[in-house]
Amino acid sequence: MASNFKLLPPLRLFSRQRKDRAVQRLSRIAITLPLVVTVGMVVALVMRALPITTLTSVWDFLGGKVWHPLQGEFGLFPFIVGTLWVTILSMVLAVPVCLLSAIYLAEYAHPALLAVTKPIIDLLAGIPSVIYGVWGLVVIVPGVRRLGEVVEANGLGAIPLLGTENPTGFSVLAGGLVLAVMVAPVIISVTFEVLNAVPTGLRHASLAVGATRWQTIKFAVLPKAAAGILAGIVLGFSRAFGETMAVMMVIGNVPDMPSSIFDPAYPLTALIANNFGEMLSIPQYDAALMGAALILLVVVLIFNLLSASFLHTVVGRSQQ
Amino acid sequence: MQKHTRSRQAMLYFLILLMLISGCGGAPQASGEDETEVTIAVSGAWALYPMMVRWAEEYEVSHPGVQFDISAGGAGKGMADVLSDMVDIGMVSREIRPEEEAQGANGIAVAKDAVFPTINVQNPALMELMASGITQEIFAGIYIRGDITTWGQVLGDPAITDPLHVYTRSDACGAAEVWAKYLGGMQEDLLGIGVFSDPGILEAVINDALGLGYNNLNYAFDPHTGEPVLGSVVVPVDINGDGRVDDGELLDTKEKAIEAVSSGNYPSPPARVLYLVTNGQPSGAVLDFLNWVLNEGQAFLGEAGYISLAESQLNVERDKLH
Repeated sequence: MASNFKLLPPLRLFSRQRKDRAVQRLSRIAITLPLVVTVGMVVALVMRALPITTLTSVWDFLGGKVWHPLQGEFGLFPFIVGTLWVTILSMVLAVPVCLLSAIYLAEYAHPALLAVTKPIIDLLAGIPSVIYGVWGLVVIVPGVRRLGEVVEANGLGAIPLLGTENPTGFSVLAGGLVLAVMVAPVIISVTFEVLNAVPTGLRHASLAVGATRWQTIKFAVLPKAAAGILAGIVLGFSRAFGETMAVMMVIGNVPDMPSSIFDPAYPLTALIANNFGEMLSIPQYDAALMGAALILLVVVLIFNLLSASFLHTVVGRSQQ
Repeated sequence: MQKHTRSRQAMLYFLILLMLISGCGGAPQASGEDETEVTIAVSGAWALYPMMVRWAEEYEVSHPGVQFDISAGGAGKGMADVLSDMVDIGMVSREIRPEEEAQGANGIAVAKDAVFPTINVQNPALMELMASGITQEIFAGIYIRGDITTWGQVLGDPAITDPLHVYTRSDACGAAEVWAKYLGGMQEDLLGIGVFSDPGILEAVINDALGLGYNNLNYAFDPHTGEPVLGSVVVPVDINGDGRVDDGELLDTKEKAIEAVSSGNYPSPPARVLYLVTNGQPSGAVLDFLNWVLNEGQAFLGEAGYISLAESQLNVERDKLH
């Protein structure tokens, strides 16, 4: 066997300098790939979405309130509003709990608890979204329906954001709850890592001058970690924004403007997933869906860039 | 050290070899030029997918040398794929639209399916509903106009004030399309909470005593018992509008439902025809297969939970192939 390799080109091919250059070249090729893919996606979507501009103005496309593509009405506004409603609600539900959990894990928790909790949280991040969807359909939707009945029975329907004519439980709230559970691991993990990156000396200094644990967290640790925590929240936000399957299964998919957390809504992602396969052969429908996909992609890109720049700031600061 | 480098070098050569090999696999050839080895590529509606798989199994046995490459992804995908010559046959579970025919879509009807309205077994007005049925006009009031919002209005009994929880399909699909057509609209006109997929809408109805939904034959009835899926009931459609459920209108078993559809008693829509679509006139192996489907292939419809076309319509379709 060994003698066979002597027939191959000399081993000098792998001299240190050559290796160095090869790795540099390879990694340069590797880094262009994601860039090319991203740009390629945007270009392809723009090309496919372009025909929509002949049927409707960009303003009507983004701001129109009626979605009847087969009758030539392409208003995406209810979907954009639906996406914002469910995403913002999920963040309102998730962020406070996640921040407190991460603070507890990083600042107070016994190492043994940490060793048990961290893997469970990481596991939560790996569960396929369709399983969250089924769980939402079987547990969350009936739960929200019962909650709605309680709200109605106690006359709380007059409170803004609570009154509704939809008693089925398929609602923004159901979608928000499912999403909140889905984004929690992202926010907890990032926040935990950022808090852990804050130098221990800072805490010791604060404690040494007589500050309590909470004062130390509030005045020494959190300010140092703020940008990183914000980055974690933005990451969670874009995960929630782009989530499709789980939300689609519980949110009711009615293209109207919601005015209550018990109303159904219809996010952009669900619009694309619900119609893409069936409507591919109808050119104007296809173009409208591609337009929706483009909007989604652009917004998620913006949020990711924001998140990246926050992270950049915090890493930069902690290295000073 | 030396050994280490060698093994790496071997690995590199191996990787290069691997890349070369993977570059060689050709896409399946989909034409009938080669008599001995033919692959027929099929894509399209979920509604026809199980039937297609069954047909392919049978056909591959009786016609050695013919192979199938079947994928499901929705009727529109099947249509788009067949029009762009990505596949030989598209499976389409709805009527073929004029703009698709203009592009060359040629549909052959091969089977029937039907959509049935479903309600929860614990519906407070269950007995009355099973006795009187629901007319097309009332369904249109529920699903299209939105002026019927309680079960009392359905029965014409103001004493019943229970609200009606309307469910529809959120995903674009043949079932919703045909249900909307029955009621005088298109899927985008259907009111109600949108639930994803056939089992999803059934789950919603089973969980909601006041729910109303609609399901394909294979989902409305349990495949093992032939009765409606536990927790749900197929509510009778009052076809002749006489305000009561006659003999042929009560569809409490799958057998009766199939009988009502194939005899034409159950209206069409919501019964619907399932199509295999080719780009222009089929030829070669694809033509042979379509001929087989319209003849021998019809025998497998029943066991797979589909309904045969009437003999007269089968003859019309057979003539289309010549």
